[in-house]
Amino acid sequence: MQKRRFNLHTILEKRVLTDSSFVLRLERNGLEFTAGQHIQVGPPNGIHTREYSIYSAPSDDFIEILVREIEDGVVTPTLKKLETGDSVVVNDAVGYFTIDKEVAEGRQFLFVASGTGISPFHSFVKAFPSLNYTLVHGIRFADEAYERHHYEPSRYIACTSRDQKGDFHGRVTDWLTQNPLNNDTLCYLCGNCDMIHDVYDILEKQGVSSKNIFTEVYF
Amino acid sequence: MKYHLVILGCQMNQADAERVQAVMAKMGYAAAETEEEANVIGIIACSVRQKAIDKVYSKIAKWNKWKNKRNLITFVSGCILPDDHQKFLKLFDLVFDMKELASFPAMLSQYGVTTPVSNFGRLHDEELVEIAAPASVAEKLNFAGAKPVSKVAAAPQTWEVEPIYNSNFEAFIPIQNGCNKFCTFCAVPYTRGREVSRSSADIIEEARQLVEKGYKSITLLGQNVNSYGLDKKGEELSFAQLLDALGQMADDSGRDVWIYFTSPHPRDMTRDVIETIAKYRSLAKQIHLPVQSGDDKVLIRMNRKHSMERYREVVGWIRELIPSATLFTDVIVGFTGETEEQFEQTRAAVREFRYNMAYIAMYSPRPGAASFAWQDDVAHAVKKERYAMLTGDLEKVAFEHTRKLKDETVRLLVRGKDKKDGYLSGHTEGKIIVRFPSDDENLIGSFVDVRIESVRPFSAEGELVTREVEA
Repeated sequence: MQKRRFNLHTILEKRVLTDSSFVLRLERNGLEFTAGQHIQVGPPNGIHTREYSIYSAPSDDFIEILVREIEDGVVTPTLKKLETGDSVVVNDAVGYFTIDKEVAEGRQFLFVASGTGISPFHSFVKAFPSLNYTLVHGIRFADEAYERHHYEPSRYIACTSRDQKGDFHGRVTDWLTQNPLNNDTLCYLCGNCDMIHDVYDILEKQGVSSKNIFTEVYF
Repeated sequence: MKYHLVILGCQMNQADAERVQAVMAKMGYAAAETEEEANVIGIIACSVRQKAIDKVYSKIAKWNKWKNKRNLITFVSGCILPDDHQKFLKLFDLVFDMKELASFPAMLSQYGVTTPVSNFGRLHDEELVEIAAPASVAEKLNFAGAKPVSKVAAAPQTWEVEPIYNSNFEAFIPIQNGCNKFCTFCAVPYTRGREVSRSSADIIEEARQLVEKGYKSITLLGQNVNSYGLDKKGEELSFAQLLDALGQMADDSGRDVWIYFTSPHPRDMTRDVIETIAKYRSLAKQIHLPVQSGDDKVLIRMNRKHSMERYREVVGWIRELIPSATLFTDVIVGFTGETEEQFEQTRAAVREFRYNMAYIAMYSPRPGAASFAWQDDVAHAVKKERYAMLTGDLEKVAFEHTRKLKDETVRLLVRGKDKKDGYLSGHTEGKIIVRFPSDDENLIGSFVDVRIESVRPFSAEGELVTREVEA
């Protein structure tokens, strides 16, 4: 009860994915959310929090977030030092980067992520197992293809810009230019703003209506 | 014992301050006109601009020096970022969240000031609080699938305090607090927290009392006023239903009142809100709909959660359902990364939507907001130039509206003396400023009819035709 009062959630598991990125699995503590929403997370004794899209699915009995350490950051270096059994502060889930099930029925989805912007898509895929999607993930190196085994191999495309060990060598924009879409596709873009702007331009040129483009900027 | 309150920032802070003043009065404090006379000095802070925060630091430095010579208690509340909160703890005697307002007397008593804390009643923790729905209003409501809720979980205590209104003819009613939108230029989600809606029963009752007292202008306040009810997930009226209840109550009263709201977010604006405004004479035909930028990619960078297509749809509803409505907006020019071409899209938006008024701001990074970390890469001179160009565009479209007022007789709520000697000024239902020659201060706070004789882009001047006849 005290924990709930102070929004404290114990870390149940920490999965290190690369030198700088990791998944924190947290107690659920009754927190409600819709796939694609985000929470604010911070160290328990600090005053700062940061927004993280939830990586896990609403049906899971835990919450997961995917974190990449920013070396000179205020929050992530502290989060990186935390271990199983430690606690973090978590605020209620909010956000509009969600899938309307009724609209989505029978539709083709394109998910475009850069880096940890893959989080909401991880949640979508777990929440809607029958989703007809293609996930294009922009990363620098192939080892940043975070837990790619969680996606159907034919649906996940790692676009690596600095090595050739991904599924496609180049940026997500290159992949999209070479693989034009059906303009009825529902397009979800998540990650850094420059990527989103570039992809937005390509999608517009391919005839996708802005009504069918949904964005979540990471900052 | 006397207190003095310094109020910085927006209308929400004004409304919060009215409740702080009520608490102080109930404790037996009289308002002091100057800081020098006061035993307790407080400040309602604003974190939207650095200048406002700098003012808080400047004030407290001065007040702390005074403490060497006399007894003085200082407090701060309002919009405070986490970093500033930590610093204020060392500088002020009391730092409290507005949600804790009802506990303020108890806090003050720790400084040896005796206060009738028991008078404030509901000091509560996280229990559900029973709030009586006024039967006369609640019984009239008959909305399918929703009803006024009488239980509010962890609602800010500030709403439980009956305010002392600073005016006897216009009032603000807070209906919603906080923000879930996380616009990158704004720090409000970090200072006021998540969206929380006030009980509709309380709102309707407060409005009913104001209407009965003869208030002429009521403004419903919220950071995202039309997100009202969304946090209650179907257990509370929607914003349209709340407006419907208020419109019905005010129209049935037989009194003349204009009910406004600010600020809505285009994302959450629904057609039924516009339909409801059209339905009731008491719901003012003036809509403030912030656009911020006319370019979709700038809107993405701002994390605004709406596209221009969506905005256009909402304006279309307004023009279709309430052709007489005036339309106001907010615009930021020179936001990080804004190109010349993107700015031109904003100019096009001003021309397309033909605003009556736009509050245009040159972008400046706000501490605590996400964009504060980004390079402020549009030169100040360019921002100034864009500001001037957009103001010019606005003047042209606004003038088209005010020109139509010439020789018309308009109803005006007289708000005070004008800057021009021998004149009073007020605004129309659409919030167009009008002044007229009169030195009869008894007219302040009443409706009058004025015949417009000359017009400017954002204001007009006329002659008094008739004054309100008191019933």
